[in-house]
Amino acid sequence: MNLIPEMVRVAILGGVLAVDRAAGWSTMLSQPIVGACLAGALVNPGPEWELWALRVPIGVGAILQLLLTDASLPAAQRQHDTATAGVVGSTVALLGMVRLHSQIPAALGGGLWVLVGVAAGLLSAVAGGWVMGYHRARSRRDVARAEELAGSDSAEGEAALLDALEGVRAGRRPAAKFELLYWMAMGRVFLVGAFWSWAGSLLGLMLAIAVLPMLGEWLTGRRIGFVFATTLGAALAAGYHAHVRSRRAGGRWMALGAAAALVLLAMARQTNS
Amino acid sequence: MSDLNEVNEVREAPAAIRVRSEDLVRTGARALHIQTLLTPERMQGPGFAFALLPVLERLYPARNDLARAIRRHLVYFATHPILAGYVLGAAARWEERRANGEPVEAEAIDTWKRALASPLAAMGDPFFWVTLRPLAGLVGIIAIGLIPAPTLGPDWRVLLCPLLTLLTYNAFALPFRVVGTHVGYIEADRPAALLRSLRLREWGHALGCAGALGYGALLALVIRFLDFGSIDWGLDATAKITTAAPLVVGAVIGWAGLLKWPGRVVEVALAALAAGLLLGGLL
Repeated sequence: MNLIPEMVRVAILGGVLAVDRAAGWSTMLSQPIVGACLAGALVNPGPEWELWALRVPIGVGAILQLLLTDASLPAAQRQHDTATAGVVGSTVALLGMVRLHSQIPAALGGGLWVLVGVAAGLLSAVAGGWVMGYHRARSRRDVARAEELAGSDSAEGEAALLDALEGVRAGRRPAAKFELLYWMAMGRVFLVGAFWSWAGSLLGLMLAIAVLPMLGEWLTGRRIGFVFATTLGAALAAGYHAHVRSRRAGGRWMALGAAAALVLLAMARQTNS
Repeated sequence: MSDLNEVNEVREAPAAIRVRSEDLVRTGARALHIQTLLTPERMQGPGFAFALLPVLERLYPARNDLARAIRRHLVYFATHPILAGYVLGAAARWEERRANGEPVEAEAIDTWKRALASPLAAMGDPFFWVTLRPLAGLVGIIAIGLIPAPTLGPDWRVLLCPLLTLLTYNAFALPFRVVGTHVGYIEADRPAALLRSLRLREWGHALGCAGALGYGALLALVIRFLDFGSIDWGLDATAKITTAAPLVVGAVIGWAGLLKWPGRVVEVALAALAAGLLLGGLL
């Protein structure tokens, strides 16, 4: 399996998702379920993996979406990079599955790789937040440059601003320099996101290749199931905080939804049987 | 004679500069990138100036005037990014009046901007971030459980579920983006009417209830998922979850952790994962 085209696709996807989150597009592209599923569709481990190659990213995306849905306002959240977490998680899970399947008992099925993807996504969210710190620091410098141009009422400040607005070359629109500063910041967001998706996936894959074979005997189906269920429980609890706890009469609506769904599922099962 | 004087005055008066519809469209499109240079000191201020540039270039052909106008809008500005178009449209209207010689002070424009931006942020953050975004993600997750996995061929849920998530969110968010600058421009003098017309509170309550309802449905799906006879994960039945105990352990860690440290979802999730590994090792 050639890793280069896979990683290029993953990097481009990560860059776009980072722009969606950091530049203000806010179209939901940067949500873990979208990033993980799109990464799963882009990374192609080969026809022999068709069954798990698309199911594992769905599982990674669903659990990460529940875990990383933070209902608190952005100002109250920690600076984690949840945009690329799904991408890194899915990529590590799929590429790890292809490389390590011979060393891990096949009977564990896809659950192990969903867990590996979720763990990689969570760690990536933390480390990606540090990487995006580079963009935030550079943004401060850019704004400082704009402040330098705009902040002073002195003749010097006015002259600097007018000089910037004049543009570098004759014939360029006024304000071209200011626009250039802005577009370059946008490019930087893309590059930082692309870099972290690429580097995070590679680091995660290397970590998985180093650690998982050592756990060969420890990784029994029972243990994997236990860890999977614990993670799922935490995800459901996070979902409760996001969807029910802060809502007026949220408990009643939740009970109504559960009852309605159980009735519908029972009816569907009866119809099928 | 007096009539002739009046005609001469009209002819000598400078032609009014008007913001064109295309300027507002370009401003709205640029508002997509309003947070690129987000900093705690200026927040979306540089983005606001960047987005308003097409309007400012139309209104202030003289470079000195343009420079001053840009400088006015580089100051601190914060609102919800999806609703920023309304403030941009209103600012375009006020700048238009100022450019045409009406007595509009620069400080007044800034005051009006803030007066509109703050309630929009107060309405937009709970609606888009706290209610609609989690709901859209939940729709995608529930779809995974409801759409049956194909036994043969590619699993199209990998594209359908994120598509449903995107559609759910943008069905609400996109209209605000599209009409924001134009409505803001038209309703610049009636901010209260503008804010009322958004009806975000009513929509927010309805969508919040839908989120809780959907979460209940998700719980029902998980209960069905715990029916090990129908579980899809893994090929070996002994590898499947045998009791609900670890699920409860994870739920307690997640619930208590987020109750104690709201906003630290990643740390709490990692703690649950670590606890699962630790307790799983004791088996």
